[in-house]
Amino acid sequence: MDVTQVVRNWLSGPHRWKIITAAAAVGAAVVIWAFVRAGWLMAATGLTGVTGMAVACVLGLAAIRALLAGSTGIAGVARAVIDEAVRMRAALVLLVLLVLLIPTLPLVLDHDERLQYRVQFLLAWALGGTGLILSLLTIFLACGSICGDIESSRIHTTLAKPLHRWEYLAGKWLGIVLFNLLLVALAGAGTATFVGVLARTQATDQADRDAVDRQVLTARAAVAPAHDRPEEYEAAIVAAIRQLEQDDPDGFSRNPAAARGRVRSEFAWAWHTITPDMVSTFVFGDLVGAKDAPTVQLQLKPRVNNVDIDLADVRFALWLNGRPWPMVEGVHQEQTLPSLSVSVLDLPTEFIDDTGTLKITFANRNLVPAGETRPTEIQLPPGDGLRLLYRTGGFEGNLLRCLAVMWCKLALVAAAGVAAAAMLGFPTAVLLSLVIYFGALGGGFLRDALGIYNVVAESFLASVLERLRESLDLALQFRFYEAGRMLLGFVTDVTLRVLPAFSDYDAVGSLATGLDVPARAVLTCFATIGLAYPLLLGILGWLVFDRRDLVRPNT
Amino acid sequence: MNAAEGIDIKCVGLTKTFRDFWMRPRVRAVENVDLEVRRGQIYGLLGPNGSGKSTTIKMLLGLLAPTSGRIAVLGRRPRDVASKRHLGYLPEESYLYRFLSARETLDFYGRLFRLPRAVRAERTDRLLEMVGLEAVEHRPVGEFSKGMQRRVGLAQALINDPQLLILDEPTSGMDPVAARQIKDLIADLGRRGKTVLLCTHQLSDVEDLCDRVAIMFGGRVRAEGTCDDLLVQEALTTIQTDALSEGVLAEIRGVLARHGIDHCDVERPRRRMESLFLEIVERARAEGLQTSGARSGGRVADFLRGDTDAHAVLGEAVVRVAPAQAGDAADDRDGEPCQAVPHAEVDAGLLDSLVKRS
Repeated sequence: MDVTQVVRNWLSGPHRWKIITAAAAVGAAVVIWAFVRAGWLMAATGLTGVTGMAVACVLGLAAIRALLAGSTGIAGVARAVIDEAVRMRAALVLLVLLVLLIPTLPLVLDHDERLQYRVQFLLAWALGGTGLILSLLTIFLACGSICGDIESSRIHTTLAKPLHRWEYLAGKWLGIVLFNLLLVALAGAGTATFVGVLARTQATDQADRDAVDRQVLTARAAVAPAHDRPEEYEAAIVAAIRQLEQDDPDGFSRNPAAARGRVRSEFAWAWHTITPDMVSTFVFGDLVGAKDAPTVQLQLKPRVNNVDIDLADVRFALWLNGRPWPMVEGVHQEQTLPSLSVSVLDLPTEFIDDTGTLKITFANRNLVPAGETRPTEIQLPPGDGLRLLYRTGGFEGNLLRCLAVMWCKLALVAAAGVAAAAMLGFPTAVLLSLVIYFGALGGGFLRDALGIYNVVAESFLASVLERLRESLDLALQFRFYEAGRMLLGFVTDVTLRVLPAFSDYDAVGSLATGLDVPARAVLTCFATIGLAYPLLLGILGWLVFDRRDLVRPNT
Repeated sequence: MNAAEGIDIKCVGLTKTFRDFWMRPRVRAVENVDLEVRRGQIYGLLGPNGSGKSTTIKMLLGLLAPTSGRIAVLGRRPRDVASKRHLGYLPEESYLYRFLSARETLDFYGRLFRLPRAVRAERTDRLLEMVGLEAVEHRPVGEFSKGMQRRVGLAQALINDPQLLILDEPTSGMDPVAARQIKDLIADLGRRGKTVLLCTHQLSDVEDLCDRVAIMFGGRVRAEGTCDDLLVQEALTTIQTDALSEGVLAEIRGVLARHGIDHCDVERPRRRMESLFLEIVERARAEGLQTSGARSGGRVADFLRGDTDAHAVLGEAVVRVAPAQAGDAADDRDGEPCQAVPHAEVDAGLLDSLVKRS
């Protein structure tokens, strides 16, 4: 047998893709060596990344196939789905996009920009883009696989075998989930590699370098402040709410929950406003775990409430648990920070008391502006404007947890696709899956936004009953348009509450800003979004699929 | 209804009406069909397009729910997964995954039967050899011709050595050589006591193979019975002799006329096109000519041959052919319609001690 025949046999055998990939890897290695010799390091890095991901993909697929080597119906269907995914053109296009996206992103960044922002951009876009691409791939694969089986009648041959219909659906879901596991792992490895390469490049200055190492490529827990006199604070809020109810009973009863929310928000802003003649104290608790490190980070985004000088520097003095800080040669130093920018102060953990509490007191030391008689107020907006951060772990562990959350979300999207395809034809199934996906993606935002206008009672059930009652009243008054709007709001509210909100688990956002993705949140995400919701969707899909006639009449 | 009573398929009052989205009746595809297929029978289901054959089969497989009536397949409801462990199905078209190779296809379906890996691998080897696709086993099925896809379809229907085989147009898309081999296989399976439900438009296949036949039209069974019951023309007699001269023919006509028989057609019988075709192909093969694509199939896979294998191994001393049922359909090359399939009786005790089971 001559060499040509041997090669032809290899290329037509079952291991042809492994052989082709190995040959391509060898070829790429030669090219990479040439790039390095020529000094084209970025190109060499990019090609190394692409080659590495392609090789890892082939090896990963072989590993998954070995995992599904069992002689069960579910394993058989799952393995067929993976084979289908690899050989489906749409999937191939999306995979190529993924493999090219991550290594080439660093090449498009502005090299004059701060390294911190470049690293954050790469993290956010690489993982965010991966999530979007994989979600679309998952929907097309799930709907295409099942709808394709039904349309082409392949399902007749499959279900003529001893395979329950639920096993068929479960196998499809499992195959897609395992395929996504591989792709998420590849994307994660690629992202980690290229972030590491980018982080080692020149920073603009030492502060930039510190920001990259200690604020981005790390995992930090965020602690929000509590009031130093919580009982008085709460009592004041309750009194204000009562007063509002007396002053404007009609307005209050129209949307009591929103009215209460507004009062609380006003009080929070007032508490977070440091007036010139007062001090404000913020209590940060649960910091026992932070004492292991030498410092904790106080993140501030201050602003002054004077429209003429809102870009002015903000000056204040700090006390930590009653002790002035920092002291330099016996003098209490003031802090000066730019307004409307995020700043981070490193506070020594020696000030944290034995109960893990740190009280931070602010005194407004702003200069009196020209034409004014007193200094301006300093505002530290609730939320991102003031919080304490301390390191809980490293970037790599945080990235793994972020990828786990991403995988759980993809499991939900896969279940939505499988359930939709079990009930509907391809285009409608894809549409429904996209609605579920984008509903989950934007659900948190919509829920918060609509909640301001639509919540009419304290509990969800009370809100539902109240809304139905109001709709009926409006309909009886022949105000059908308003009744319809009320019902639509009700349907939207119910839908948003039923759908999981991906924003409740914004792991990519946390990772890109150096915030910890807590293990507890990952487990909760796995249990709800990764298992419970897919199970619910799977049951819904199976209930329809099990009763569905899989043959159309010949007419 | 119970498989232990020897009935593998039983339908009583089977009706299927397809409805539209608004649940209005649209098509009555099957109406009040009664069917009974006994263990070991080769049962033919005939009818023109749209007569309800495929719909009936889909209901037997649990792919469609009947509107009314009862069905039992191997003593169980069609949706009962356990009934499918011993069932093989070849659909009318090759509904296969185009991206899987022939080997991967058989492996996939073998998994669905929970066959252990080693058994799957061995049966896949034997089946690919049997259907003549071992040279192209790694090529995606989507690149196969229709006939090659049908062969893969047949192989997947046999991967579990089924007790009940439902074949919908098994020879569709096959060349005459392959069609002959499939018919021989069906006959072989019948001899082994397998039950075959054969749905086909090829009337010659039905005559050659089937013990009983049902003819459907408009969703109803119009006629049902054995081939002899349905086809024998009691009013006529055929006599076949060596070639006769005109003088002898005239004498015979005279004898018949003396007995009051005026109607006498004399013609030279024709061999069947099938036997001529097979003879030409065999001759070409003997001359060493090559062909691309699927090869001629090999021997029947050993896990399917079972008792018939004992026949070849043990010889005449053990196997006794049932009297008055001589003739082997596989060896019939002279163009005559095939006789009833002989049922070999085998010394089971000696068989157990000598034959290794797969």
